[in-house]
Amino acid sequence: MSLESFLLLLTGGVVAGTIGTLLGIGGGLFLVPFLVLVAGVPVHQAIATSIVAVIATSSTGASVYLERGLVNMRFGMLLEVATVIGAIAGGLTANVLSGPTLTKIFATVMMVTALLMLRRSANNKHGDAPETNGAFASEFNDDASGSVVRYSVKNIPGTMAISLLAGNLSGLLGIGGGAFKVPAMHLLSGMPMKAAAATSNFMIGVTAAASAFIYFSHGHLNAVLASAAVLGVLGGSFLGTRISRRIHGKTLAWIFVGVLFLISAQMFFR
Amino acid sequence: MERAKTYERRIGLLLRAGVAVSSVLMAAGLLLATFQSAQPAVDYNPTLRELLIGLTSGQTNESTALLLMFAGLVVLMLTPFLRVLAALFAFLAEKNWRFVGVAAVVFCILVGQLIYSLQ
Repeated sequence: MSLESFLLLLTGGVVAGTIGTLLGIGGGLFLVPFLVLVAGVPVHQAIATSIVAVIATSSTGASVYLERGLVNMRFGMLLEVATVIGAIAGGLTANVLSGPTLTKIFATVMMVTALLMLRRSANNKHGDAPETNGAFASEFNDDASGSVVRYSVKNIPGTMAISLLAGNLSGLLGIGGGAFKVPAMHLLSGMPMKAAAATSNFMIGVTAAASAFIYFSHGHLNAVLASAAVLGVLGGSFLGTRISRRIHGKTLAWIFVGVLFLISAQMFFR
Repeated sequence: MERAKTYERRIGLLLRAGVAVSSVLMAAGLLLATFQSAQPAVDYNPTLRELLIGLTSGQTNESTALLLMFAGLVVLMLTPFLRVLAALFAFLAEKNWRFVGVAAVVFCILVGQLIYSLQ
Protein backbone atom coordinates (compact mmCIF):
# COMPACT_ATOMS: atom_id res chain seq x y z
CA MET A 1 0.00 0.00 0.00
CA SER A 2 1.34 3.43 -0.89
CA LEU A 3 1.81 6.12 1.76
CA GLU A 4 -0.91 8.22 0.08
CA SER A 5 -3.45 5.37 0.30
CA PHE A 6 -2.48 4.70 3.90
CA LEU A 7 -2.92 8.36 4.87
CA LEU A 8 -6.23 8.53 2.99
CA LEU A 9 -7.59 5.49 4.86
CA LEU A 10 -6.25 6.77 8.15
CA THR A 11 -7.92 10.17 7.61
CA GLY A 12 -11.25 8.59 6.63
CA GLY A 13 -11.01 6.42 9.74
CA VAL A 14 -10.30 9.39 12.01
CA VAL A 15 -13.36 11.31 10.72
CA ALA A 16 -15.68 8.26 10.96
CA GLY A 17 -14.35 7.37 14.43
CA THR A 18 -14.77 10.90 15.78
CA ILE A 19 -18.35 11.36 14.57
CA GLY A 20 -19.33 7.76 15.34
CA THR A 21 -18.10 7.89 18.94
CA LEU A 22 -19.45 11.36 19.59
CA LEU A 23 -22.97 10.51 18.39
CA GLY A 24 -23.08 6.79 19.30
CA ILE A 25 -23.80 5.67 15.73
CA GLY A 26 -20.60 3.79 14.95
CA GLY A 27 -19.37 5.63 11.89
CA GLY A 28 -20.10 2.95 9.30
CA LEU A 29 -22.54 5.24 7.50
CA PHE A 30 -19.62 7.57 6.73
CA LEU A 31 -16.90 5.01 6.24
CA VAL A 32 -18.65 2.85 3.61
CA PRO A 33 -19.29 5.72 1.12
CA PHE A 34 -15.81 7.09 1.83
CA LEU A 35 -14.10 3.76 1.14
CA VAL A 36 -16.15 3.05 -1.98
CA LEU A 37 -16.31 6.52 -3.55
CA VAL A 38 -13.04 8.12 -2.42
CA ALA A 39 -10.66 5.19 -1.85
CA GLY A 40 -12.12 2.97 -4.62
CA VAL A 41 -12.55 -0.08 -2.36
CA PRO A 42 -14.95 -2.89 -3.48
CA VAL A 43 -18.31 -2.67 -1.64
CA HIS A 44 -18.03 -6.00 0.25
CA GLN A 45 -14.58 -5.10 1.56
CA ALA A 46 -15.82 -1.61 2.48
CA ILE A 47 -18.75 -3.06 4.47
CA ALA A 48 -16.46 -5.61 6.20
CA THR A 49 -14.01 -2.82 7.12
CA SER A 50 -16.86 -0.62 8.31
CA ILE A 51 -18.24 -3.36 10.58
CA VAL A 52 -14.82 -3.86 12.23
CA ALA A 53 -14.58 -0.06 12.50
CA VAL A 54 -17.90 -0.02 14.40
CA ILE A 55 -16.39 -2.48 16.91
CA ALA A 56 -13.34 -0.21 17.25
CA THR A 57 -15.56 2.85 17.81
CA SER A 58 -17.75 1.01 20.28
CA SER A 59 -14.89 -0.51 22.29
CA THR A 60 -12.88 2.71 22.53
CA GLY A 61 -15.90 4.89 23.24
CA ALA A 62 -17.48 2.50 25.75
CA SER A 63 -14.20 2.05 27.67
CA VAL A 64 -14.05 5.81 28.30
CA TYR A 65 -17.79 6.35 28.76
CA LEU A 66 -18.05 3.48 31.28
CA GLU A 67 -15.34 5.10 33.36
CA ARG A 68 -17.18 8.45 33.23
CA GLY A 69 -20.44 6.77 34.29
CA LEU A 70 -22.21 7.84 31.08
CA VAL A 71 -23.23 4.31 30.01
CA ASN A 72 -26.43 2.86 31.48
CA MET A 73 -25.09 -0.69 31.32
CA ARG A 74 -28.19 -2.52 32.56
CA PHE A 75 -30.57 -0.76 30.21
CA GLY A 76 -28.05 -1.24 27.38
CA MET A 77 -27.84 -4.97 28.06
CA LEU A 78 -31.63 -5.25 28.05
CA LEU A 79 -31.86 -3.45 24.70
CA GLU A 80 -29.09 -5.70 23.33
CA VAL A 81 -31.41 -8.70 23.68
CA ALA A 82 -33.93 -6.97 21.39
CA THR A 83 -31.19 -5.85 18.98
CA VAL A 84 -29.60 -9.28 18.50
CA ILE A 85 -33.02 -10.94 18.10
CA GLY A 86 -33.87 -8.27 15.52
CA ALA A 87 -30.62 -8.96 13.67
CA ILE A 88 -31.38 -12.68 13.52
CA ALA A 89 -34.90 -11.96 12.28
CA GLY A 90 -33.40 -9.94 9.42
CA GLY A 91 -33.77 -12.92 7.11
CA LEU A 92 -37.53 -13.00 7.75
CA THR A 93 -37.96 -9.33 6.88
CA ALA A 94 -35.88 -9.78 3.74
CA ASN A 95 -38.47 -12.28 2.49
CA VAL A 96 -41.28 -9.75 2.91
CA LEU A 97 -39.73 -6.49 1.67
CA SER A 98 -37.24 -5.77 -1.11
CA GLY A 99 -33.96 -3.94 -0.50
CA PRO A 100 -34.98 -0.66 -2.23
CA THR A 101 -38.34 -0.59 -0.36
CA LEU A 102 -36.53 -1.12 2.95
CA THR A 103 -34.08 1.65 2.15
CA LYS A 104 -36.95 4.07 1.43
CA ILE A 105 -38.73 3.08 4.67
CA PHE A 106 -35.46 3.53 6.55
CA ALA A 107 -34.90 6.97 5.02
CA THR A 108 -38.48 8.08 5.77
CA VAL A 109 -38.34 6.90 9.40
CA MET A 110 -35.01 8.65 9.81
CA MET A 111 -36.37 11.90 8.37
CA VAL A 112 -39.36 11.77 10.76
CA THR A 113 -36.99 11.01 13.66
CA ALA A 114 -34.84 13.99 12.70
CA LEU A 115 -37.93 16.25 12.66
CA LEU A 116 -39.05 14.94 16.08
CA MET A 117 -35.59 15.55 17.50
CA LEU A 118 -35.53 18.99 15.90
CA ARG A 119 -38.85 19.87 17.58
CA ARG A 120 -37.63 18.53 20.92
CA SER A 121 -34.35 20.45 20.68
CA ALA A 122 -36.12 23.67 19.64
CA ASN A 123 -38.61 23.41 22.54
CA ASN A 124 -35.97 22.39 25.04
CA LYS A 125 -34.25 25.72 25.55
CA HIS A 126 -32.54 24.76 28.81
CA GLY A 127 -31.05 21.41 27.74
CA ASP A 128 -32.05 17.98 29.09
CA ALA A 129 -34.57 17.97 31.92
CA PRO A 130 -34.84 14.23 32.55
CA GLU A 131 -37.37 12.53 34.83
CA THR A 132 -36.05 10.62 37.82
CA ASN A 133 -39.04 8.49 38.78
CA GLY A 134 -38.69 5.74 36.17
CA ALA A 135 -36.57 2.58 35.99
CA PHE A 136 -32.77 2.13 35.57
CA ALA A 137 -32.00 5.31 37.53
CA SER A 138 -28.50 6.62 36.97
CA GLU A 139 -26.39 9.75 37.17
CA PHE A 140 -23.26 11.20 35.64
CA ASN A 141 -21.03 14.24 35.98
CA ASP A 142 -21.55 16.50 32.98
CA ASP A 143 -18.24 18.32 32.58
CA ALA A 144 -19.66 20.71 29.96
CA SER A 145 -22.36 22.08 32.31
CA GLY A 146 -20.42 21.36 35.50
CA SER A 147 -23.39 19.60 37.10
CA VAL A 148 -24.49 16.11 38.12
CA VAL A 149 -27.25 14.88 35.79
CA ARG A 150 -29.72 12.44 37.35
CA TYR A 151 -32.19 10.56 35.20
CA SER A 152 -34.24 7.40 34.86
CA VAL A 153 -35.75 5.48 31.97
CA LYS A 154 -39.39 5.29 30.84
CA ASN A 155 -41.27 3.62 27.93
CA ILE A 156 -39.05 0.51 28.05
CA PRO A 157 -41.27 -1.69 25.79
CA GLY A 158 -41.37 1.01 23.08
CA THR A 159 -37.60 1.50 23.17
CA MET A 160 -37.09 -2.29 23.03
CA ALA A 161 -39.36 -2.49 19.99
CA ILE A 162 -37.27 0.18 18.21
CA SER A 163 -34.06 -1.62 19.19
CA LEU A 164 -35.50 -4.78 17.64
CA LEU A 165 -36.17 -2.82 14.44
CA ALA A 166 -32.67 -1.29 14.61
CA GLY A 167 -31.07 -4.73 14.88
CA ASN A 168 -33.25 -5.94 12.02
CA LEU A 169 -32.20 -3.08 9.72
CA SER A 170 -28.56 -3.39 10.74
CA GLY A 171 -28.49 -6.95 9.50
CA LEU A 172 -30.46 -6.19 6.33
CA LEU A 173 -28.87 -2.98 5.11
CA GLY A 174 -25.40 -3.25 6.63
CA ILE A 175 -25.94 -0.08 8.62
CA GLY A 176 -25.44 0.64 12.29
CA GLY A 177 -28.58 0.63 14.41
CA GLY A 178 -27.28 3.54 16.50
CA ALA A 179 -29.08 6.06 14.27
CA PHE A 180 -32.35 4.59 15.61
CA LYS A 181 -31.28 3.62 19.11
CA VAL A 182 -30.00 7.03 20.16
CA PRO A 183 -33.24 8.91 19.26
CA ALA A 184 -35.32 6.10 20.80
CA MET A 185 -33.41 6.31 24.08
CA HIS A 186 -33.49 10.13 24.03
CA LEU A 187 -37.04 10.79 22.82
CA LEU A 188 -38.93 7.72 24.08
CA SER A 189 -36.98 6.70 27.19
CA GLY A 190 -36.14 10.26 28.23
CA MET A 191 -32.41 9.66 28.59
CA PRO A 192 -30.13 12.70 28.38
CA MET A 193 -28.52 12.93 24.93
CA LYS A 194 -25.00 12.21 26.22
CA ALA A 195 -26.10 9.10 28.12
CA ALA A 196 -28.11 7.89 25.09
CA ALA A 197 -25.10 8.30 22.76
CA ALA A 198 -22.75 6.60 25.25
CA THR A 199 -25.15 3.69 25.86
CA SER A 200 -25.63 3.22 22.11
CA ASN A 201 -21.84 3.22 21.72
CA PHE A 202 -21.65 0.46 24.32
CA MET A 203 -24.25 -1.63 22.45
CA ILE A 204 -23.31 -1.35 18.78
CA GLY A 205 -20.04 -3.29 19.08
CA VAL A 206 -21.92 -6.42 20.13
CA THR A 207 -24.24 -6.36 17.10
CA ALA A 208 -21.30 -5.70 14.79
CA ALA A 209 -19.10 -8.45 16.30
CA ALA A 210 -21.36 -11.26 15.14
CA SER A 211 -21.56 -9.86 11.57
CA ALA A 212 -17.79 -9.23 11.47
CA PHE A 213 -17.00 -12.93 11.77
CA ILE A 214 -19.38 -13.68 8.88
CA TYR A 215 -17.44 -11.28 6.62
CA PHE A 216 -14.11 -12.66 7.93
CA SER A 217 -15.08 -16.27 7.22
CA HIS A 218 -16.28 -15.30 3.70
CA GLY A 219 -12.86 -13.76 2.96
CA HIS A 220 -14.14 -10.16 2.58
CA LEU A 221 -11.84 -8.72 5.23
CA ASN A 222 -8.76 -7.14 3.63
CA ALA A 223 -6.21 -7.02 6.47
CA VAL A 224 -4.10 -4.12 5.13
CA LEU A 225 -7.09 -1.95 4.28
CA ALA A 226 -8.97 -2.74 7.51
CA SER A 227 -5.89 -2.26 9.73
CA ALA A 228 -5.12 1.17 8.26
CA ALA A 229 -8.76 2.34 8.50
CA VAL A 230 -9.30 0.86 11.97
CA LEU A 231 -6.15 2.50 13.36
CA GLY A 232 -7.56 5.81 12.10
CA VAL A 233 -10.96 5.01 13.62
CA LEU A 234 -9.33 4.24 16.99
CA GLY A 235 -7.58 7.62 16.94
CA GLY A 236 -10.83 9.33 15.89
CA SER A 237 -12.80 7.55 18.62
CA PHE A 238 -10.38 8.78 21.24
CA LEU A 239 -10.83 12.30 19.84
CA GLY A 240 -14.63 11.83 19.90
CA THR A 241 -14.59 10.98 23.61
CA ARG A 242 -12.53 14.13 24.30
CA ILE A 243 -14.97 16.33 22.35
CA SER A 244 -17.91 14.66 24.12
CA ARG A 245 -16.54 15.86 27.45
CA ARG A 246 -16.68 19.51 26.39
CA ILE A 247 -19.86 19.55 24.31
CA HIS A 248 -23.31 20.33 25.73
CA GLY A 249 -26.09 17.74 25.37
CA LYS A 250 -28.21 20.23 23.42
CA THR A 251 -25.40 20.88 20.89
CA LEU A 252 -24.92 17.14 20.54
CA ALA A 253 -28.64 16.77 19.76
CA TRP A 254 -28.41 19.48 17.05
CA ILE A 255 -25.41 17.75 15.43
CA PHE A 256 -27.30 14.46 15.59
CA VAL A 257 -30.31 16.02 13.81
CA GLY A 258 -28.04 17.34 11.05
CA VAL A 259 -26.42 13.93 10.59
CA LEU A 260 -29.83 12.20 10.49
CA PHE A 261 -30.97 14.55 7.70
CA LEU A 262 -27.78 13.84 5.76
CA ILE A 263 -28.11 10.06 6.13
CA SER A 264 -31.77 10.21 5.19
CA ALA A 265 -31.02 12.27 2.04
CA GLN A 266 -28.20 9.89 1.11
CA MET A 267 -30.61 6.93 1.44
CA PHE A 268 -33.32 8.60 -0.68
CA PHE A 269 -30.92 9.35 -3.53
CA ARG A 270 -28.97 6.10 -3.34
CA MET B 1 -24.25 1.47 43.42
CA GLU B 2 -20.50 1.86 44.13
CA ARG B 3 -19.94 -1.87 43.59
CA ALA B 4 -21.72 -1.67 40.22
CA LYS B 5 -19.52 1.28 39.24
CA THR B 6 -16.40 -0.75 40.12
CA TYR B 7 -17.52 -3.56 37.79
CA GLU B 8 -18.30 -1.06 35.05
CA ARG B 9 -14.80 0.41 35.37
CA ARG B 10 -13.31 -3.09 35.15
CA ILE B 11 -15.31 -3.80 31.99
CA GLY B 12 -14.02 -0.48 30.63
CA LEU B 13 -10.46 -1.62 31.35
CA LEU B 14 -11.10 -4.92 29.57
CA LEU B 15 -12.32 -3.03 26.48
CA ARG B 16 -9.28 -0.77 26.65
CA ALA B 17 -6.95 -3.78 26.88
CA GLY B 18 -8.64 -5.39 23.84
CA VAL B 19 -8.24 -2.19 21.83
CA ALA B 20 -4.60 -1.78 22.93
CA VAL B 21 -3.57 -5.35 22.05
CA SER B 22 -5.33 -5.21 18.67
CA SER B 23 -3.79 -1.79 17.85
CA VAL B 24 -0.27 -3.03 18.63
CA LEU B 25 -0.76 -6.14 16.47
CA MET B 26 -2.20 -4.18 13.53
CA ALA B 27 0.49 -1.48 13.73
CA ALA B 28 3.23 -4.14 13.97
CA GLY B 29 1.80 -5.92 10.91
CA LEU B 30 1.63 -2.67 8.91
CA LEU B 31 5.20 -1.75 9.89
CA LEU B 32 6.51 -5.21 9.00
CA ALA B 33 4.71 -5.09 5.62
CA THR B 34 6.34 -1.71 4.94
CA PHE B 35 9.89 -2.80 5.70
CA GLN B 36 10.00 -6.40 4.49
CA SER B 37 11.38 -7.02 1.01
CA ALA B 38 8.80 -9.61 -0.17
CA GLN B 39 5.31 -8.09 -0.29
CA PRO B 40 2.47 -10.26 1.04
CA ALA B 41 -0.39 -11.32 -1.22
CA VAL B 42 -3.18 -8.80 -0.46
CA ASP B 43 -5.94 -11.32 -1.20
CA TYR B 44 -4.61 -13.74 1.44
CA ASN B 45 -7.47 -14.70 3.80
CA PRO B 46 -6.57 -17.23 6.48
CA THR B 47 -9.13 -19.22 8.45
CA LEU B 48 -9.03 -18.93 12.25
CA ARG B 49 -7.15 -22.26 12.38
CA GLU B 50 -4.55 -21.11 9.82
CA LEU B 51 -4.18 -17.88 11.75
CA LEU B 52 -3.46 -19.70 15.01
CA ILE B 53 -1.03 -22.16 13.37
CA GLY B 54 0.75 -19.36 11.52
CA LEU B 55 1.18 -17.23 14.64
CA THR B 56 2.29 -20.06 16.92
CA SER B 57 4.67 -21.76 14.47
CA GLY B 58 7.47 -19.29 15.27
CA GLN B 59 8.41 -19.07 11.59
CA THR B 60 8.37 -15.78 9.72
CA ASN B 61 7.71 -15.37 6.00
CA GLU B 62 6.01 -12.87 3.68
CA SER B 63 2.61 -13.71 5.23
CA THR B 64 3.66 -12.88 8.82
CA ALA B 65 2.76 -9.19 8.43
CA LEU B 66 -0.76 -10.12 7.25
CA LEU B 67 -1.12 -12.69 10.02
CA LEU B 68 -0.27 -10.02 12.60
CA MET B 69 -2.86 -7.66 11.10
CA PHE B 70 -5.51 -10.39 11.03
CA ALA B 71 -4.63 -11.30 14.63
CA GLY B 72 -5.21 -7.66 15.63
CA LEU B 73 -8.55 -7.58 13.80
CA VAL B 74 -9.68 -10.88 15.37
CA VAL B 75 -8.72 -9.65 18.87
CA LEU B 76 -10.80 -6.53 18.19
CA MET B 77 -13.72 -8.64 16.91
CA LEU B 78 -13.58 -10.85 20.03
CA THR B 79 -13.51 -7.88 22.45
CA PRO B 80 -17.33 -7.36 22.51
CA PHE B 81 -17.80 -11.10 23.23
CA LEU B 82 -15.46 -10.77 26.22
CA ARG B 83 -17.31 -7.63 27.27
CA VAL B 84 -20.65 -9.50 27.39
CA LEU B 85 -18.97 -12.37 29.29
CA ALA B 86 -17.43 -9.91 31.76
CA ALA B 87 -20.85 -8.28 32.28
CA LEU B 88 -22.31 -11.75 32.92
CA PHE B 89 -19.71 -12.39 35.65
CA ALA B 90 -20.26 -8.91 37.11
CA PHE B 91 -24.01 -9.56 37.41
CA LEU B 92 -23.23 -12.99 38.92
CA ALA B 93 -21.01 -11.35 41.55
CA GLU B 94 -23.82 -8.88 42.29
CA LYS B 95 -26.30 -11.82 42.45
CA ASN B 96 -28.47 -9.84 40.05
CA TRP B 97 -30.14 -12.93 38.58
CA ARG B 98 -32.43 -11.10 36.18
CA PHE B 99 -29.42 -9.53 34.45
CA VAL B 100 -27.42 -12.74 34.65
CA GLY B 101 -30.23 -14.15 32.48
CA VAL B 102 -30.17 -11.13 30.13
CA ALA B 103 -26.38 -11.30 29.66
CA ALA B 104 -26.52 -15.09 29.23
CA VAL B 105 -29.16 -14.77 26.48
CA VAL B 106 -27.05 -12.16 24.61
CA PHE B 107 -23.88 -14.25 25.00
CA CYS B 108 -25.56 -17.47 23.81
CA ILE B 109 -27.03 -15.72 20.74
CA LEU B 110 -23.62 -14.22 19.90
CA VAL B 111 -21.75 -17.50 20.29
CA GLY B 112 -24.46 -19.29 18.28
CA GLN B 113 -24.09 -16.74 15.48
CA LEU B 114 -20.29 -17.04 15.65
CA ILE B 115 -20.37 -20.83 15.36
CA TYR B 116 -22.91 -20.63 12.51
CA SER B 117 -20.82 -18.04 10.63
CA LEU B 118 -17.60 -20.06 10.93
CA GLN B 119 -19.14 -23.28 9.63
